[in-house]
Amino acid sequence: MSEIAFPIKDLTRRKFQTGLTILGLTICMSATLFLVIFGSNLGFEIAFLSLGGRLTSGFFNIFSRFILVVGLLNILAGAFITSFLVYLTMSERVRDIGVMKAAGCLSGSILGYFITELSILIFLSCIAGTIFGIGAYYLSINLLNVLGFSVSQVLSLWAVVLIFLVLILVSHIFGALPIIKAAKVKPAEALSPLYSLGTTFELGRAVPSKLGFTLKVAYRNLVRRKSATRQAIICLAVVLTLTTVTIAGGMIANQTTTNYVERAIGRDIVLVGHPNLTERYVNVLSQFFEDKEMESIDYLDPRYNISESLVSELSNISGVLKADPRLVLETTVYEVQGVIIDPEEPNQYILVGDDRFGEALVVGVQPERVVNEWLIFGRVLNETDVYSAVIGDSLALEMFSDPQKQAISVSEENFEIAGVCLDTLNNGKVVYIPLKALSTELGQPGYNLLFLKINSSESSQVLAEIEKELSGKNLKVVELNEILGKHVNFLNHIWSFVMFLPLFSLATATLCLLSYLMLSIAGQQREFGIMRALGAKPRSIMKIIFTQALLITLISGAIGISVGLFVTFVFLIPEPVISQNTILSVAGWLLLTLGILCLSSLYPAMKTVKKSVVSAIYSV
Amino acid sequence: MKEKVVLTLSLCKQYQIGDLAVEALKNLDLEVEKGEFVSIHGPSGAGKTTLLNLIGGLDKPTSGKVVVFGHDLGTYDEDFLATFRCAYVGFVFQSYNLISTLTAIENVAFVVELAGWLRERIEERSENLLKLVGLEHRANHFPAQLSGGEQQRVAFARALANDPPLILADEPTGNLDVETGLEIVRILEKMKAERKTVIVATHDGRILELANRTLRLLDGRIMNK
Repeated sequence: MSEIAFPIKDLTRRKFQTGLTILGLTICMSATLFLVIFGSNLGFEIAFLSLGGRLTSGFFNIFSRFILVVGLLNILAGAFITSFLVYLTMSERVRDIGVMKAAGCLSGSILGYFITELSILIFLSCIAGTIFGIGAYYLSINLLNVLGFSVSQVLSLWAVVLIFLVLILVSHIFGALPIIKAAKVKPAEALSPLYSLGTTFELGRAVPSKLGFTLKVAYRNLVRRKSATRQAIICLAVVLTLTTVTIAGGMIANQTTTNYVERAIGRDIVLVGHPNLTERYVNVLSQFFEDKEMESIDYLDPRYNISESLVSELSNISGVLKADPRLVLETTVYEVQGVIIDPEEPNQYILVGDDRFGEALVVGVQPERVVNEWLIFGRVLNETDVYSAVIGDSLALEMFSDPQKQAISVSEENFEIAGVCLDTLNNGKVVYIPLKALSTELGQPGYNLLFLKINSSESSQVLAEIEKELSGKNLKVVELNEILGKHVNFLNHIWSFVMFLPLFSLATATLCLLSYLMLSIAGQQREFGIMRALGAKPRSIMKIIFTQALLITLISGAIGISVGLFVTFVFLIPEPVISQNTILSVAGWLLLTLGILCLSSLYPAMKTVKKSVVSAIYSV
Repeated sequence: MKEKVVLTLSLCKQYQIGDLAVEALKNLDLEVEKGEFVSIHGPSGAGKTTLLNLIGGLDKPTSGKVVVFGHDLGTYDEDFLATFRCAYVGFVFQSYNLISTLTAIENVAFVVELAGWLRERIEERSENLLKLVGLEHRANHFPAQLSGGEQQRVAFARALANDPPLILADEPTGNLDVETGLEIVRILEKMKAERKTVIVATHDGRILELANRTLRLLDGRIMNK
């Protein structure tokens, strides 16, 4: 028989197994493709927000790193699962290979037949998976747009081609392994009804006799099908790592970014200043979530000055916890090159940076009076600093090569960069320098904006007091809590958008476990039939299958969740903020994930016990 | 009058293979009394395995009745049939049908555990049965590590595990050489001596000689009642 005719006939006559394998591989392929193209589209959308002048570079980095890690894990999970399903399918063919060898078929021809069969399975599944993956992508994008999001329908073809090629390659490599292994098995062994590739003949650790009957049987089934169990655990662990990163990572990152914003803007902060300047400041702050055209303004107009006496009067109001007067202006700032020792030639120095420049908001502060607590890489300004600066994240990323080894020039004076802060003000294009130095350089003592931290429990009284104090003066009071709320809403909006990924990852994990169980149970069909013939009730078989799924889920869950949390904390989010509520939500979601995974085993279990005992025993 | 252990009335079993309906058993009537050793022989495809499957409650008749120990097996659900098999029937298959991931002793213990025996007695019972079939030294070997004869002896030990009153054996020596087959015949002799009710489908002359009654099955019908 030709090398094409045999595999085609073989596949069409083993409809159930062929269908199951193609279904499993198609689900895996479509899910992987969907997650990667959907994820990359989300990445592009968020990048677009950043390019459009919204979202600071620091925040954009958090989002893009999250999507990148999820994307990589998606490809990894897809590759593992595909290879595992192929391995499982081909392991079932050992006996057929033995029969062919016994009949005198050469090993080369056997390899040819089964590799052709493997290729047909993989190509059919990958093509079907690509069609379903792209279909699911357009469906989800349309669904998101109906839900009020605005997502472009652009499809990244490179991602489609890349995933297609990666999965085809990986499936062939892993699928060929059991075929080559099986081709090496002696015909007599392969023909034995009891021989099964990957079944170990070691007793292993004794099963504690106190374990219940179901647990004992399930444990033995898993332990003695070592290689299949090991592969299943690896596969599910990767999928659960992905799910943990997306669920836990997403939730923690959401809370952390919200916290960064709260720290940058400050909670219960009241802004006092000339109406032109407060309006301007609010607009500059709003650039994080909306792109506004702004006309130039003279920040140093004497009308905007706030006197020292007013600052002390306001800070003496009961309920005002802290007063932070500032001198703010927009100006051009310049990158100053840094000098460092050449790591390769200790006697040589090398220059770091360039001579870039750009517009930034320069804020003169008195470090000891600052009301904000930004997330800072490096150090904060302190009272003794004179010519030091802390710059915003966008400025650092766009204008500096190694900010903490460089300086920034403001009004022709150089300030050493002490730290980089994650700030939404002017979308991260901001420089904080000591007020004394700024006043000296500008030749203008005094302040033009005042920030008051007030006691939240008596805010209305305090605000009334402040208003009273300012009556007759051309100064306005603005509560920053409202704008902080808009920042948080904007971040929540992006995260709710990104959090579609965990939902789809969860669906993928469930489908993967289902495919694994269907194939694995199909392989154990005969043994379950024997157990039923010996008197095991259908319920007992379901319990055994469920317990097997539970054990695999728990072991892979422990590995996957630990690795997922490690990736989240080490690579994804600097200084994560985790509240008790977040811990409970994350734990709840992960338990729900594990629960869904275990419950999904009931479907193939039910299918198994519905089969008659006789057809199960005599199933091949 | 002796107790009737097995009673079949107009028993029919039909299989649908694609468009083709195959009648495996046609209006078969049979009675087997307690302690009887009945052998069934006939050409391949005569319906021997189907008859044993129906008597053992593994399959349900298309029409007619199969009553075993007073239970009309066609009327019961899967749960009852499982309990019935565990308590009343010991099966021995031609292809041994041992569970590949369990050792010889675990294969025997499996049935006893299913019946809910006490932990301490399960081990003792399994060891005794392996001793009975002369395989105590192979207790911790997996089926794939045993010869065909040894596997069939484990299958007999398993069939006897719950001390069932009815033993059904489907071509127990069919896959074995003459020498190894003799060991199985000896086990069957022991069963006969213990007055167990045994129904064996076989072509083996030595087993046919053991039988109190031999039935010839042809095209789903008993030819020599």
